[in-house]
Amino acid sequence: MSTLNDAILEAHDQRDFVALVTLYQRASMETDDIDEACFFATQAYIFALDTGHPNLNELHQFLCAHNREE
Amino acid sequence: MKDLRMYQSDDLDAVRRPVSLANGLPNAHYVDPNMFLEERDALLFSQWAGLAVAADVPEAGDAVPIDFLGMPLLLVRDRENQVRVFQNTCRHRGMILVEEPRKIEGAIRCPYHSWCYATDGRLVSTPHVGGPGQNTHPDVKRSELGLTEIRSHIWRDVIWVNIHGNAPEFEVAMADVIERWAEFDKPLYHGGADSKFQLKVKTNWKLAVENYCESYHLPWVHPGLNSYSRLEDHYNIESYGNYSGQGSLVYRQLKDANGTTFPDFPELDSKWDTSAEYIAAYPNVLLGVHRDHAFAIVLVPQSTDETIENIHLYYAQPDTDPQMRAENTHLWKTVFEEDIFVVEGMQRGRHAVTFDGGRFSPAMDGPTHCFHDWVASQVQTHRAAKQAAE
Repeated sequence: MSTLNDAILEAHDQRDFVALVTLYQRASMETDDIDEACFFATQAYIFALDTGHPNLNELHQFLCAHNREE
Repeated sequence: MKDLRMYQSDDLDAVRRPVSLANGLPNAHYVDPNMFLEERDALLFSQWAGLAVAADVPEAGDAVPIDFLGMPLLLVRDRENQVRVFQNTCRHRGMILVEEPRKIEGAIRCPYHSWCYATDGRLVSTPHVGGPGQNTHPDVKRSELGLTEIRSHIWRDVIWVNIHGNAPEFEVAMADVIERWAEFDKPLYHGGADSKFQLKVKTNWKLAVENYCESYHLPWVHPGLNSYSRLEDHYNIESYGNYSGQGSLVYRQLKDANGTTFPDFPELDSKWDTSAEYIAAYPNVLLGVHRDHAFAIVLVPQSTDETIENIHLYYAQPDTDPQMRAENTHLWKTVFEEDIFVVEGMQRGRHAVTFDGGRFSPAMDGPTHCFHDWVASQVQTHRAAKQAAE
């Protein structure tokens, strides 16, 4: 997780929003805590919205399935 | 010696006398920051003012932030290809949304807490608004929190905005000038990067309007035009309460070495073979039409004595010769640059405390007086409405 954390921080530093979609999505999938998963999925979803990322619908569906998004 | 106070009054009735008897607008309308703000409301925010051109956002997702008289606006071409103008301000904490011109790939994301808006202004996500990982809250209704859209209309590629939202419909407010140039109501093609330029002038924006709409100065300030575009070949255009300008009866087309000209706008009356017209569409847009090209100048007031002029040239067809376009741009740039010293000189002249607004040539200055009369009437109306509300 520390490697993933470093990668996320690096992507933020570089303002690489496309990379942040997949990195946060990975973080979301790597936790068993649903609240934590939804937090990371939200981060991924927002950067997907920002960049028009192809994972947008998948992330939206995940958040909707957990009543976290409209 | 006259009492100095008479010169410092704001006698708009004197402006509204017939041109042969009228005085020009008092100095305060050019040099007083409080008057600048009053005119912002009366002349620009309450009317249909020019903001930019649609060619500034040529593709879906293009976004350009514009500071318009202190108001942060965001020009966007949405996914459906509609040009929209929003307040460039997040509905959450009022953060500026877009700092630089850029392409919106997906949504407009606020850089503060990442509330996201579609390019049509809809609020599409409010991350963590109900707590970490919870992006909804029953009291935060997205349908009520879209971007604040500014009333806008496109005519002759110019994006006109009515900031206060209280002007009549654009087609009603501008009916006379639209009708005058109905023949030119045809597709316009911006010449692209070689067909636009910007001038920053140290003058009040109204002096740029005033200088544009009269031909009186041509033989003195633009002697190069004198050989074929003589003063007597011009006529005044005066529509009191609406617009003013000048026309020329001797327009000559630009030709390349082979004698080729730009293509004409289709189905024009033969009178346009050698004619051209130049109109100030009040408050701040200067337009010109010719058989083979047109231009729009959007004046963006910066302060009492600073104005940005954004100039755009248009053609009847999309693929015109780039070398000819560049030459045409150069010709117009030369003409407009020749005007800088007079609009800047008139601005400095208005710091003379006993200047009384000046007098007009009854024969030659009608278009300028027409504009002054409009300014005075709009300011009077604005003041009357304000007084009635108090």
